[in-house]
Amino acid sequence: MSFDILCRQRTLYFLVKWSLAVCIALNLGACSRDAEPVHQEQILVFGTLVDITLWGVNDDKAQQATAAVISTLNKLHHRWHAWEPGPLTEINARLARGETVTLDPDQVEVIRGARELSRQSGDLFNPAIGRLIGLWGFHSDDRPSTIPPPAPQAIQQLVAQHPTMEDLHLDGNKLRSDNPALQFDFGAYVKSYGVDRAIDQLRRHGVANAIVNAGGDLRAIGSRGDRPWRIGIRDPRGPGILASVEIRGDESVFTSGDYERFFVYQGKRYHHIIDPRSGYPPDGAMSATVIYPGGGVGGGASTALMVAGPKDWLKVVRGMHLKQAMLVAADRKVYLTPVLAKRIHFEVDPPPTVIIGQP
Amino acid sequence: MMKLTRADWLVLIAAIALLPGLYAHYWGEQGPATTVRISASGQQDITLPLSGERRVKVHGPLGDSVIEIHAGRVRFVSSPCRGKQCVHSGWLSHSGELAACLPNGIMVSVLGRERQFDSINF
Amino acid sequence: MSITVPTTRQDHRIAWLTALAITIHIAESALPSPLPGIKPGLANVVTIVALVQYGWGTAAWVALLRVLIGSLLIGTFLSPTFLLSLSGAVASIIALRLASWVPGRGFGPVGYCLLAALAHMSAQFFTAYWVFIPHAGLFRLLPVLMTASLIFGVTSGIIAQMALHRLRPAEKPAL
Repeated sequence: MSFDILCRQRTLYFLVKWSLAVCIALNLGACSRDAEPVHQEQILVFGTLVDITLWGVNDDKAQQATAAVISTLNKLHHRWHAWEPGPLTEINARLARGETVTLDPDQVEVIRGARELSRQSGDLFNPAIGRLIGLWGFHSDDRPSTIPPPAPQAIQQLVAQHPTMEDLHLDGNKLRSDNPALQFDFGAYVKSYGVDRAIDQLRRHGVANAIVNAGGDLRAIGSRGDRPWRIGIRDPRGPGILASVEIRGDESVFTSGDYERFFVYQGKRYHHIIDPRSGYPPDGAMSATVIYPGGGVGGGASTALMVAGPKDWLKVVRGMHLKQAMLVAADRKVYLTPVLAKRIHFEVDPPPTVIIGQP
Repeated sequence: MMKLTRADWLVLIAAIALLPGLYAHYWGEQGPATTVRISASGQQDITLPLSGERRVKVHGPLGDSVIEIHAGRVRFVSSPCRGKQCVHSGWLSHSGELAACLPNGIMVSVLGRERQFDSINF
Repeated sequence: MSITVPTTRQDHRIAWLTALAITIHIAESALPSPLPGIKPGLANVVTIVALVQYGWGTAAWVALLRVLIGSLLIGTFLSPTFLLSLSGAVASIIALRLASWVPGRGFGPVGYCLLAALAHMSAQFFTAYWVFIPHAGLFRLLPVLMTASLIFGVTSGIIAQMALHRLRPAEKPAL
């Protein structure tokens, strides 16, 4: 039984060498990329978990920039806190007493900006209903589920008082309110404001590529080296991702959802976004996402969309001049503006039913 | 004796030449494993982080398969199929690794960093 | 009255070749694999030997019978594994038929085995994809599967060639 061992061995040897060479080449190719300068840090600040991602800066600069952002956010958190004693609660108390308040420039900016957004949204985003939000128990970090929702009469009463940003008289930096029921709670608008100030800080420190993500709402500038930032949008009902977008340049992605702050009482979910018209949290939508260039609009727009729901969302889209908006309705149908429909990529298989709305 | 015909060589070389292309195309960017994707036919995918501890029950035509994420690895714990090939695949921990229960139509794959997201909006 | 079914010489050949193939197949099925499909495929050696020695017809029979009877014996008849094996067998038979039309010297056992293995694996993969897991993620397995079938295809081809070298060279094929 003599084989031609030499010949067989040679052939096998040749094959093994070849395959190994190929595998090694591939692996080396894969390894050599990506010794990239990405800095990522997560901090508990601003009342939430803030994720700061920086690209293209050395360690020192990254640390400095991050420290500056943390300091800014800490200040803002105290300055705009809706219920802990501070500048905002002070303003609220004085306005309710009918007094005229002298504002600092940044406060003027925020109030003016919020009022404009409120108008554009048809008052669906209404930062003047602080009392109503407090009535629902959302002026605390931890509302127990054992407490029932407020009595309808209490809700009716506050709704009837109808505080809106139109009750304000702003003369330069002097602010007065016609309606003693008016109480500021800027909600997600403070988040957009905070994220914008954070981005400003980063830019001042020479950072041109970054993501500031404050508890899920984010703004991304620049790109991740030679590829865009990949942003995932969480599924309102899942741990997983519903959709994703790529960002190059400067864009904000803000989402309001019924899963962020809520309690369940007797099987029904009550979340923290209150419809100023009814006094109750709407149940038409599970989440609303807005993507827009730069900063500014953010939390106000997504809040208004949640309140509008699938029936009226396009009114908000038009009024607030939104080009990219998404609404995930309670029945899981996804409503998209045409611009967003083109660029969004669904990460679930099969993808959800999409309805494109023409603004 | 080990004479390969010309046709043999051609096929052999062509096959070997195609392989890198397959890898490049379907494996593309790889990196340290960070995410688990669970796909079940007829249902939407679930994408989960590989970190953390979790047990997920996924429903398929034969019944429920249980998938466990633990200490940076993922595996099928149990499945209603007969062969239990999926369970026997054991722990997955590297990006590109895959375990599937064909009879129950469920696939678990580990994805690398490049495919994950830089930030999650919620 | 007893019925006699006349058997030809070819029937006998097919029978013992199939028996041999099944034996190897069953032995192999005891091996673990990441996905039902990655097996050394050594039973293919028998198919290719049958192909070169006795022609495509015999080889086709051996391949199909091996899958059928093998699954009955192992107990996977009509199971997903069976469907995969069957699709693989059919694809490799077709590939071998097409390959046999190559003019000139054509393929040797190594070439045939390689083609059969590649066809077998491709068919199995796409059956898994279309029937069981219609999901893009499954494609991550494809490069690995094809690498395996390349290696095993060449290996079994070499074994087949060695085996053929020892068989009576007189019985040349009628492909």
